[in-house]
Amino acid sequence: MIDFSAFLDALGIMATSAGSWGWIVPGLIVGLVFSAIPGVSITMAMAIVLPMSLYMDFFSAVVFLTSVYTGAGFGGSVPAILMNIPGSPASYATTFDGYAMSKKGQHNEALGYALFASTICGILGYVLLLFVVEPLAHIVLRIGPLEMFAVAIWGMLLLGSLGSKYVTRGLLAAAFGVLLGTVGMNTAGFIRGTMGFPTLLDGISPIPAMIGLLAAGQLLTLAGKDYILDAEEARKVSVKKILSGCWGTLKYPGVLTRGSIIGIIIGAVPGVGSSVGNLIAYAETKRTSKDSASFGKGNPKGVIAAESAVASAEGGSMATMLALGIPGGGATAILLAAFMMHNIVPGPTFIENQKPMVYAIILNNIVQAIALLGVGIGFIYVASMVVKVRTRYILPAILVIATLGTYAVDGSPSGPITLFVFALIGFALVRYEYPVAAVVVGILLGRMLETEFLRSYQLSGGNPLYILQRPGAMAIVGVMLLSFVMTAWGKRKQARMEAEEEAAMEKLHRDDIAGARKT
Amino acid sequence: MRFRGHEYRVDRGHLVFVCAIAAAVAWYLFDTRSVSTSVNNLLLVEPVSLFALAMAALIIPQCFVRADHAENTEEKKEEEYDPLAPKLPTERAQVIKMLSLGVSLGVFVFALNVIGFDIAIFLFAMAAMAICGERRPLHLVLFSAAVAAAAIYGFRMLIPYPMYTVIL
Repeated sequence: MIDFSAFLDALGIMATSAGSWGWIVPGLIVGLVFSAIPGVSITMAMAIVLPMSLYMDFFSAVVFLTSVYTGAGFGGSVPAILMNIPGSPASYATTFDGYAMSKKGQHNEALGYALFASTICGILGYVLLLFVVEPLAHIVLRIGPLEMFAVAIWGMLLLGSLGSKYVTRGLLAAAFGVLLGTVGMNTAGFIRGTMGFPTLLDGISPIPAMIGLLAAGQLLTLAGKDYILDAEEARKVSVKKILSGCWGTLKYPGVLTRGSIIGIIIGAVPGVGSSVGNLIAYAETKRTSKDSASFGKGNPKGVIAAESAVASAEGGSMATMLALGIPGGGATAILLAAFMMHNIVPGPTFIENQKPMVYAIILNNIVQAIALLGVGIGFIYVASMVVKVRTRYILPAILVIATLGTYAVDGSPSGPITLFVFALIGFALVRYEYPVAAVVVGILLGRMLETEFLRSYQLSGGNPLYILQRPGAMAIVGVMLLSFVMTAWGKRKQARMEAEEEAAMEKLHRDDIAGARKT
Repeated sequence: MRFRGHEYRVDRGHLVFVCAIAAAVAWYLFDTRSVSTSVNNLLLVEPVSLFALAMAALIIPQCFVRADHAENTEEKKEEEYDPLAPKLPTERAQVIKMLSLGVSLGVFVFALNVIGFDIAIFLFAMAAMAICGERRPLHLVLFSAAVAAAAIYGFRMLIPYPMYTVIL
């Protein structure tokens, strides 16, 4: 699986290009800072620094950009945990338990869990990539639109099991989100729902919509509070607690492994990426966990599952890009552009001809993941100070940054206006107990769902039996159905246990009353 | 509201919200069908829209709750601790603050290209601070000016798009 002669050559490249190592820390800091700003995504951070890499040699450029990628993967979880605003779509599932832990005053521990899960699974993802980069090229070539559609549907339907109290409201929110995601011109050239606005031709911009939906639920309601966190204790920053969180991560090897595997697989599928991977990893961990009822209420396993999938998805998407030259998402598309700016075209030929360079890139990413641990702790310490500031100072600043972040997407007023419109929708969704997550993911996946469904329809000629020719799609559908059956069974079991517990408590209470009457 | 001998409470806000979503979905379906009835156009939108309308039809009865059930549910809700349950302000003063901030945000986003990013940010930051309880004039002016300057100069360095400003 590993070509040892090429591996030794890669170590040689690493040793002789020590100057490139100097780009790791600046890259990590750029990634951490950018993605911690709500509205500035990993892709945007990488796109902004891309021109800088033009003046570096190829290896230094790749080291710098992948460092930004690694830093941004974790950076997004800082506002997700502290303020319930994911810095990027990839950190969405981190908000479920991360913010709940923060509200309980455990934000230091939550950040520690997120950082260590990111570090370990980042390393794990790349170590695995080291072994599978060659055979993976053959597997990924077999993924077609039907498989992509099945994976996206799975991601969408899983939202029903993500803590929605009312199934009907969850499903309506998901369907509404998907429809919002299809506004504009579809791949067949039909224009729908634009109301004559040219800016809607490309669809609703997901970043402003996402920030709007989430900002309404939290930021506006903070207006009546003096501090973001009520308890005085909760505003204390402690490196010791962060480190205890880091250490605590090792207690959940199963969660780390599952999250990593899901992250790598989903990350390797082009177009799906870590924004779905973290949701699936979270949902699967919740489903298989004995204490699933505590998920969404500050269970560390939720934070670890989501972050492990995000970190390992980086390795997965790099695998697709290196093996096929197909970017798994926006960030790897920027990397692909950087490769091309240096006249290098990744793909099976690149792996074959430049094997030592491929291994050197992978090894350097492992070094970056280790460096993230040190840089990340320093960054957390600074970022955690945010909760010490009074709401009257932090709220206007965050709202201004978020609004300008939406303007930064395409430099038009449509971003801020989208933010405001979705802020109102988000407020109503929270008010009437609809899962905002379902709408957000629907918007993110709507277009992809339609495109892949359309391609599958065209390939099959409208014959539903086409699925029988696609064992991969059948396997995904099978796993999806199994997952739902298991979820339903788990929920039923949980409801039965709760009912039994309630009955036992009732009996105890009655016995107490009867005992008191006798005496 | 009385129906079949039982007193019902109507959650008017929720009813309006569900009906608004259903109306938006129905309009989108109508708009899509008016563009073309080709399968390539309706493949995903039509089934998802019909599904959404069916869900909305199932949710509408949830807006009508029997008065005696509603009281029990409210009592139960108070007993449960759920850190992520929606906790919207209920006190009049807090609701007014929240709505004022929402309105300020709306005015801010529409004013950006009209009065300039710098002035709009300065005024919004000042309004937001005042809404959140800041009353000291010097703090209001200095902090708002600092936010405006940091945001304008910071984003100018980060983004390639021009921002219309009056002073900065």
